[in-house]
Amino acid sequence: MGVGEFLFLLTGLKWTLALSAIGFLCGSAGGLAIALMRTSGVRALERLTGGYIALFQGTPLLMQLFVVYYGLALGGLHLSAWVAVSIGFTLHASAYLGEIWRGSIEAVPRGQTEAASALNLGYAARMKDVVLPQAIRISLPATIGFLVQLIKGTSLASIVGFTELARAGNIVSNQIFQPLLVFGVVGILYFLMCWPLSLYGSHLERRFAVATR
Amino acid sequence: MIRITPTRRLALAALVAALALPALAGRPAAAITPEEIKARGKIIVGIQGDNPPWGFVTSDGKQDGFDADIARLYAKQLGVEVEFMPLEVNNRIPALTSGRVDVLFATMAMLPERAKAVQFSKPYVANAIVLIAPKSVEVKTNADMAKLSIGVAKGAAQDTQVTKNAPAGTVIRRYDGDAPSIQALASGQVQALGGNIFYLQRVEQARPGEFENKLEFQKLYNGACTRLGEKELNASINAFIDRIKADGELQKLYDKWMKVPVHQFPDSLDGVPFSAS
Amino acid sequence: MNYVLDFTPVLDGLPDLLVGCLGTLLLALGGMAIAIVIGIGGVVLRDSRYKAVRWAVKGFVELIRNTPFLVQIYFIYFALPLAGMRLDPTPTAILALGINGGAYAIEIIRGGVQSISRGQVEAGLALGLHKGLVFRLIVLKPALRAVFPSLASQFILLTLTTSVASAISAFELTSVAQRIESESFRSFEVFGTITLLYLGISWLMMSFFSTISARFFSYPVK
Repeated sequence: MGVGEFLFLLTGLKWTLALSAIGFLCGSAGGLAIALMRTSGVRALERLTGGYIALFQGTPLLMQLFVVYYGLALGGLHLSAWVAVSIGFTLHASAYLGEIWRGSIEAVPRGQTEAASALNLGYAARMKDVVLPQAIRISLPATIGFLVQLIKGTSLASIVGFTELARAGNIVSNQIFQPLLVFGVVGILYFLMCWPLSLYGSHLERRFAVATR
Repeated sequence: MIRITPTRRLALAALVAALALPALAGRPAAAITPEEIKARGKIIVGIQGDNPPWGFVTSDGKQDGFDADIARLYAKQLGVEVEFMPLEVNNRIPALTSGRVDVLFATMAMLPERAKAVQFSKPYVANAIVLIAPKSVEVKTNADMAKLSIGVAKGAAQDTQVTKNAPAGTVIRRYDGDAPSIQALASGQVQALGGNIFYLQRVEQARPGEFENKLEFQKLYNGACTRLGEKELNASINAFIDRIKADGELQKLYDKWMKVPVHQFPDSLDGVPFSAS
Repeated sequence: MNYVLDFTPVLDGLPDLLVGCLGTLLLALGGMAIAIVIGIGGVVLRDSRYKAVRWAVKGFVELIRNTPFLVQIYFIYFALPLAGMRLDPTPTAILALGINGGAYAIEIIRGGVQSISRGQVEAGLALGLHKGLVFRLIVLKPALRAVFPSLASQFILLTLTTSVASAISAFELTSVAQRIESESFRSFEVFGTITLLYLGISWLMMSFFSTISARFFSYPVK
């Protein structure tokens, strides 16, 4: 593999990073909204978001990408592949992060909410200053775990024709016909992105386990 | 974490959410004219990204190939920029019909079943669908294919041809695109490969001296595709193709990529109208 | 121009799609079986006397968990033949799914094993039980019970991951759908429908797991 091919892989890597970042950031916003609705106490909202989560956790990411990719366009929205794929990952991440954060909001002891209410704090202040700071801490290991899953998941964007790392690998492999080498390098690049995050996640998990023992 | 017990309520809610999605669809997709493309200053061209020399991305990330050059010529005629969108074989037509691209210059063989979904232009290049197999194996007739496992790119013309011509029960493996299908032959996952006239050249790079073209299924002509009913764009492309045939620009591209004289093109193809009605 | 939804090709292809569902189930169940074996074996090996073995298991888990399944399956399918190992697409897919799920299973089951207190094992040994029996009854079974929900959700994820196996032409639901799509060009209708089929498959799996949970992992211990 020459320098040119390796640089081409790095261009793909850039898109993988961009896609992961967009998916995670927009997905966080969506996920937070979903987690709040899911724990709002309003039954209609809880059911709606529950259904949303069940739908996205019960179907393959690949299908979600396909349906969003073709569906948005049929709906009259003419977006570039890049935007369409980003929307797909955002919807996907919103569901998973929403469910993770719902769990951690519920894991914050009920007494805290009651105490905050007794102090006459409104919903917004109660969530922002009391519940969410604790919930976010509880959720960190799982959130980071999902981020790793999301980075790996961006490889599926290659199947809808988006040139990120995995597809760049496929193209290079077909130019130089050394699949062992190319997929090895591609695997290592993914590993270098994900492993530090995984290590940090399990470090937090251990620290948290010790703190609550 | 996913819940173990599916509750009926959640099931219903998910179903409702799922059924609500198609409601988004059913509204008009794009209809675009050359004038609108000019006003926008850019034409979005669907092309292949991994099928040299038709359409491919070079290792420095640039779109190149015969189709890319044709598309650039057309953009030059319109006086606009080209934006290439590399597509997998299998999502070329969906990308067009769903409005992701304005036109396909994407090795689109002019086939009647495709003509029901998209509008073809006049042909601008000829191609053939062939079967590539090891020199050591005797393949003289379609029936001989039964003993081989054959790789093809999903949804490509070779998929249709191999599926149609191979005896029932032949092992046909369909991959996501040209690159993985050639890779499958190169790594020995299949014994034979359905492809076009340029495949052998690429197989030679990977496994020199082992393979040859065995059967030719079909002579094909490739045309540009637009959405059904977009008369102006189709007419503009046909005029463009007539021009490059007449003024020698097409021959220049043939010299660059195919190294043969420009083919004789038919005036009509069964079931494939060249102009929008 | 109006795009009108047309589900006829999907309805015509429904029998094929249902057979495709069976293909998906086969991949998922095969993958799970291998994953369980790798998971339990890995947990045993991870406490091996030999440092090299312990590190090998750790390395395997980290490597698999931090690379995408698509890259793993391409690697196994396209690269291993060069090393003289050639498998058909479907066995390759099952193997790749098993390896992928196995790495997660090791981590999950290990978490359960660690939750078993040392005293219980010692009590078992003190009662004169054989080491293997202690592992099976006192360590493994309660550990599996403790981690069963995590394991089940990991396996649902594995079931959904089978769709990626279409990339190497394994026979399953997505590949059938792509064939119908490439004949009819009705992408949205086809993929929308099979998304619902996948939803059905994952619910089927969830019910399957809750049955197993009720049958084998409920108190009182049988």
